[in-house]
Amino acid sequence: MEPTISPAAAAHALAEIQTRRDQAVTATLVPAWYWPAVGALMVAFTAAVESERPWLVTVGSIAYALGLTAVVLRVALRHRAQVRNRLLGVRGVAAIAGYVLCLVALGLVTGFTAESAGLGWPATVGAATTAGAMTATGQPLMRYLRAVMTARPVGGGR
Amino acid sequence: MSTARFDELIHAPTRLSLVSLLAATEWAEFRYLREQLGLSDSALSKQLATLEQAGYVEVRKSFVGKRPRTSVQLSRDGRRAFDGHVAALQQIVAQAGASVLP
Repeated sequence: MEPTISPAAAAHALAEIQTRRDQAVTATLVPAWYWPAVGALMVAFTAAVESERPWLVTVGSIAYALGLTAVVLRVALRHRAQVRNRLLGVRGVAAIAGYVLCLVALGLVTGFTAESAGLGWPATVGAATTAGAMTATGQPLMRYLRAVMTARPVGGGR
Repeated sequence: MSTARFDELIHAPTRLSLVSLLAATEWAEFRYLREQLGLSDSALSKQLATLEQAGYVEVRKSFVGKRPRTSVQLSRDGRRAFDGHVAALQQIVAQAGASVLP
Protein backbone atom coordinates (compact mmCIF):
# COMPACT_ATOMS: atom_id res chain seq x y z
CA MET A 1 0.00 0.00 0.00
CA GLU A 2 1.36 3.41 -0.98
CA PRO A 3 1.75 5.89 1.87
CA THR A 4 -0.53 8.86 1.73
CA ILE A 5 1.71 11.46 3.31
CA SER A 6 2.90 14.64 1.66
CA PRO A 7 6.57 15.44 1.01
CA ALA A 8 6.29 18.18 3.65
CA ALA A 9 5.06 15.66 6.23
CA ALA A 10 7.86 13.27 5.25
CA ALA A 11 10.44 16.05 5.63
CA HIS A 12 8.94 16.93 9.00
CA ALA A 13 9.22 13.29 10.10
CA LEU A 14 12.86 13.18 8.99
CA ALA A 15 13.58 16.35 10.97
CA GLU A 16 11.97 14.76 14.04
CA ILE A 17 14.14 11.65 13.60
CA GLN A 18 17.26 13.83 13.39
CA THR A 19 16.23 15.85 16.45
CA ARG A 20 15.66 12.73 18.54
CA ARG A 21 19.03 11.32 17.53
CA ASP A 22 20.75 14.59 18.53
CA GLN A 23 18.89 14.39 21.84
CA ALA A 24 20.13 10.83 22.47
CA VAL A 25 23.73 11.73 21.58
CA THR A 26 23.76 14.86 23.76
CA ALA A 27 22.35 13.02 26.77
CA THR A 28 25.13 10.44 26.74
CA LEU A 29 28.15 12.76 26.60
CA VAL A 30 30.48 13.11 29.59
CA PRO A 31 29.51 16.16 31.74
CA ALA A 32 31.75 19.23 31.98
CA TRP A 33 32.69 18.69 35.65
CA TYR A 34 34.24 15.29 34.83
CA TRP A 35 37.45 16.73 33.34
CA PRO A 36 38.56 19.03 36.19
CA ALA A 37 37.50 16.37 38.71
CA VAL A 38 39.70 13.67 37.16
CA GLY A 39 42.49 16.22 36.65
CA ALA A 40 42.44 17.27 40.30
CA LEU A 41 42.52 13.66 41.48
CA MET A 42 45.43 12.93 39.16
CA VAL A 43 47.46 15.90 40.45
CA ALA A 44 46.73 15.07 44.11
CA PHE A 45 47.73 11.43 43.60
CA THR A 46 50.97 12.30 41.76
CA ALA A 47 51.91 14.86 44.42
CA ALA A 48 51.26 12.31 47.17
CA VAL A 49 53.50 9.74 45.47
CA GLU A 50 56.19 12.32 44.74
CA SER A 51 56.25 13.45 48.36
CA GLU A 52 57.90 10.08 49.15
CA ARG A 53 56.27 10.10 52.59
CA PRO A 54 54.83 6.62 53.12
CA TRP A 55 51.73 7.75 55.01
CA LEU A 56 50.97 10.39 52.36
CA VAL A 57 51.46 7.86 49.54
CA THR A 58 49.02 5.52 51.31
CA VAL A 59 46.43 8.21 51.98
CA GLY A 60 46.85 9.62 48.46
CA SER A 61 46.47 6.21 46.81
CA ILE A 62 43.32 5.37 48.76
CA ALA A 63 41.82 8.81 48.18
CA TYR A 64 42.61 8.55 44.45
CA ALA A 65 41.04 5.09 44.15
CA LEU A 66 37.92 6.15 46.06
CA GLY A 67 37.66 9.49 44.28
CA LEU A 68 38.04 8.01 40.82
CA THR A 69 35.52 5.29 41.62
CA ALA A 70 33.05 7.93 42.81
CA VAL A 71 33.53 10.06 39.69
CA VAL A 72 33.19 7.11 37.29
CA LEU A 73 30.17 5.73 39.17
CA ARG A 74 28.51 9.16 39.14
CA VAL A 75 28.93 9.36 35.36
CA ALA A 76 27.95 5.73 34.78
CA LEU A 77 24.81 5.94 36.93
CA ARG A 78 23.79 9.17 35.24
CA HIS A 79 23.85 7.39 31.90
CA ARG A 80 20.42 5.97 31.34
CA ALA A 81 20.98 5.21 27.67
CA GLN A 82 23.92 3.93 25.67
CA VAL A 83 24.42 5.76 22.41
CA ARG A 84 24.86 3.46 19.44
CA ASN A 85 28.53 2.50 19.05
CA ARG A 86 28.32 2.68 15.28
CA LEU A 87 27.59 6.42 15.41
CA LEU A 88 31.10 7.11 16.70
CA GLY A 89 32.74 5.56 13.62
CA VAL A 90 36.44 5.48 12.77
CA ARG A 91 36.80 9.28 13.05
CA GLY A 92 35.39 9.32 16.56
CA VAL A 93 37.53 6.42 17.79
CA ALA A 94 40.64 7.97 16.18
CA ALA A 95 39.87 11.32 17.85
CA ILE A 96 39.60 9.70 21.29
CA ALA A 97 42.80 7.66 20.81
CA GLY A 98 44.66 10.73 19.52
CA TYR A 99 43.40 12.81 22.43
CA VAL A 100 44.62 10.29 25.02
CA LEU A 101 48.00 9.94 23.33
CA CYS A 102 48.45 13.73 23.21
CA LEU A 103 47.62 14.04 26.92
CA VAL A 104 50.08 11.29 27.87
CA ALA A 105 52.79 12.81 25.69
CA LEU A 106 52.16 16.27 27.13
CA GLY A 107 52.45 14.97 30.70
CA LEU A 108 55.67 13.06 29.99
CA VAL A 109 57.36 15.85 28.04
CA THR A 110 56.46 18.46 30.68
CA GLY A 111 57.54 16.19 33.51
CA PHE A 112 60.93 15.32 31.97
CA THR A 113 61.50 18.93 30.96
CA ALA A 114 60.80 20.07 34.52
CA GLU A 115 63.20 17.45 35.86
CA SER A 116 66.00 18.38 33.46
CA ALA A 117 65.46 22.04 34.38
CA GLY A 118 65.99 21.14 38.02
CA LEU A 119 62.47 22.06 39.13
CA GLY A 120 61.03 20.42 42.25
CA TRP A 121 58.09 18.00 41.94
CA PRO A 122 58.55 17.37 38.20
CA ALA A 123 55.96 14.57 37.96
CA THR A 124 53.40 16.78 39.69
CA VAL A 125 54.21 19.57 37.23
CA GLY A 126 53.60 17.10 34.37
CA ALA A 127 50.32 15.88 35.91
CA ALA A 128 49.17 19.46 36.53
CA THR A 129 49.86 20.35 32.90
CA THR A 130 47.89 17.32 31.73
CA ALA A 131 45.06 18.16 34.14
CA GLY A 132 44.95 21.73 32.85
CA ALA A 133 44.88 20.51 29.25
CA MET A 134 42.08 18.03 30.09
CA THR A 135 40.03 20.76 31.75
CA ALA A 136 40.53 23.09 28.81
CA THR A 137 39.93 20.55 26.04
CA GLY A 138 37.54 17.97 27.51
CA GLN A 139 34.39 19.81 26.48
CA PRO A 140 35.71 20.74 23.01
CA LEU A 141 36.42 17.02 22.51
CA MET A 142 32.83 16.24 23.54
CA ARG A 143 31.53 18.87 21.11
CA TYR A 144 33.65 17.34 18.34
CA LEU A 145 32.39 13.81 19.08
CA ARG A 146 28.83 15.12 19.15
CA ALA A 147 29.36 16.71 15.73
CA VAL A 148 30.83 13.47 14.36
CA MET A 149 27.90 11.40 15.65
CA THR A 150 25.14 13.74 14.56
CA ALA A 151 26.66 14.23 11.09
CA ARG A 152 26.14 10.59 10.17
CA PRO A 153 23.16 9.92 7.91
CA VAL A 154 20.01 8.71 9.67
CA GLY A 155 18.59 5.26 8.98
CA GLY A 156 20.60 2.50 7.32
CA GLY A 157 22.67 4.88 5.19
CA ARG A 158 26.48 4.91 5.67
CA MET B 1 21.14 1.17 1.90
CA SER B 2 17.87 -0.30 3.25
CA THR B 3 14.88 -1.17 1.11
CA ALA B 4 12.38 1.68 1.31
CA ARG B 5 9.22 0.59 3.10
CA PHE B 6 6.81 3.04 4.68
CA ASP B 7 5.81 1.69 8.09
CA GLU B 8 2.45 2.91 9.42
CA LEU B 9 3.17 1.50 12.88
CA ILE B 10 6.38 3.49 13.27
CA HIS B 11 5.04 6.64 11.62
CA ALA B 12 2.47 7.46 14.34
CA PRO B 13 3.89 10.67 15.94
CA THR B 14 4.71 9.40 19.44
CA ARG B 15 6.06 6.10 18.16
CA LEU B 16 8.19 7.87 15.55
CA SER B 17 9.86 9.89 18.33
CA LEU B 18 10.24 6.80 20.51
CA VAL B 19 11.70 4.60 17.77
CA SER B 20 14.00 7.43 16.63
CA LEU B 21 15.44 7.70 20.15
CA LEU B 22 15.85 3.93 20.37
CA ALA B 23 17.46 3.80 16.91
CA ALA B 24 20.22 6.13 18.16
CA THR B 25 20.94 3.95 21.18
CA GLU B 26 22.08 0.43 21.96
CA TRP B 27 19.58 0.47 24.85
CA ALA B 28 17.70 3.03 26.89
CA GLU B 29 16.04 2.98 30.29
CA PHE B 30 12.28 3.33 30.56
CA ARG B 31 12.74 6.40 32.79
CA TYR B 32 15.03 8.06 30.25
CA LEU B 33 12.53 7.52 27.43
CA ARG B 34 9.66 8.81 29.56
CA GLU B 35 11.55 12.00 30.41
CA GLN B 36 12.86 12.65 26.91
CA LEU B 37 9.45 12.16 25.33
CA GLY B 38 7.44 13.83 28.09
CA LEU B 39 5.07 10.88 28.43
CA SER B 40 3.34 9.36 31.42
CA ASP B 41 4.30 5.84 32.54
CA SER B 42 1.08 4.40 31.16
CA ALA B 43 1.33 6.19 27.82
CA LEU B 44 4.89 4.98 27.29
CA SER B 45 4.01 1.44 28.40
CA LYS B 46 1.18 1.39 25.88
CA GLN B 47 3.43 2.48 23.02
CA LEU B 48 6.11 -0.02 24.01
CA ALA B 49 3.54 -2.82 24.21
CA THR B 50 2.41 -2.04 20.66
CA LEU B 51 5.99 -2.08 19.40
CA GLU B 52 6.79 -5.23 21.37
CA GLN B 53 3.80 -7.05 19.88
CA ALA B 54 5.09 -6.16 16.43
CA GLY B 55 8.49 -7.54 17.40
CA TYR B 56 10.15 -4.13 17.05
CA VAL B 57 11.45 -3.73 20.59
CA GLU B 58 12.74 -5.92 23.40
CA VAL B 59 11.92 -4.92 26.97
CA ARG B 60 14.14 -6.24 29.76
CA LYS B 61 13.48 -5.95 33.47
CA SER B 62 16.29 -6.25 35.97
CA PHE B 63 17.40 -4.99 39.36
CA VAL B 64 20.26 -2.60 40.18
CA GLY B 65 20.67 -3.26 43.89
CA LYS B 66 17.11 -3.21 45.16
CA ARG B 67 15.84 -0.85 42.49
CA PRO B 68 13.99 -2.30 39.50
CA ARG B 69 15.24 -1.16 36.12
CA THR B 70 13.48 -1.54 32.81
CA SER B 71 15.58 -1.16 29.70
CA VAL B 72 14.40 -1.14 26.12
CA GLN B 73 16.18 -1.82 22.87
CA LEU B 74 15.22 -1.90 19.25
CA SER B 75 15.19 -5.47 17.92
CA ARG B 76 16.83 -6.45 14.65
CA ASP B 77 13.40 -6.40 12.96
CA GLY B 78 12.67 -3.03 14.53
CA ARG B 79 15.93 -1.57 13.28
CA ARG B 80 15.30 -2.96 9.80
CA ALA B 81 11.78 -1.51 9.79
CA PHE B 82 13.06 1.87 11.00
CA ASP B 83 15.79 1.99 8.35
CA GLY B 84 13.22 1.06 5.68
CA HIS B 85 10.86 3.75 6.97
CA VAL B 86 13.60 6.40 6.86
CA ALA B 87 14.47 5.34 3.31
CA ALA B 88 10.78 5.62 2.34
CA LEU B 89 10.53 9.11 3.85
CA GLN B 90 13.70 10.17 2.03
CA GLN B 91 12.29 8.79 -1.21
CA ILE B 92 9.06 10.78 -0.79
CA VAL B 93 10.99 13.99 -0.19
CA ALA B 94 13.47 13.27 -2.99
CA GLN B 95 10.66 12.62 -5.48
CA ALA B 96 9.30 16.04 -4.61
CA GLY B 97 12.61 17.51 -5.68
CA ALA B 98 14.03 18.53 -2.32
CA SER B 99 17.29 17.32 -0.83
CA VAL B 100 16.89 15.13 2.24
CA LEU B 101 20.53 14.95 3.22
CA PRO B 102 21.27 16.66 6.54
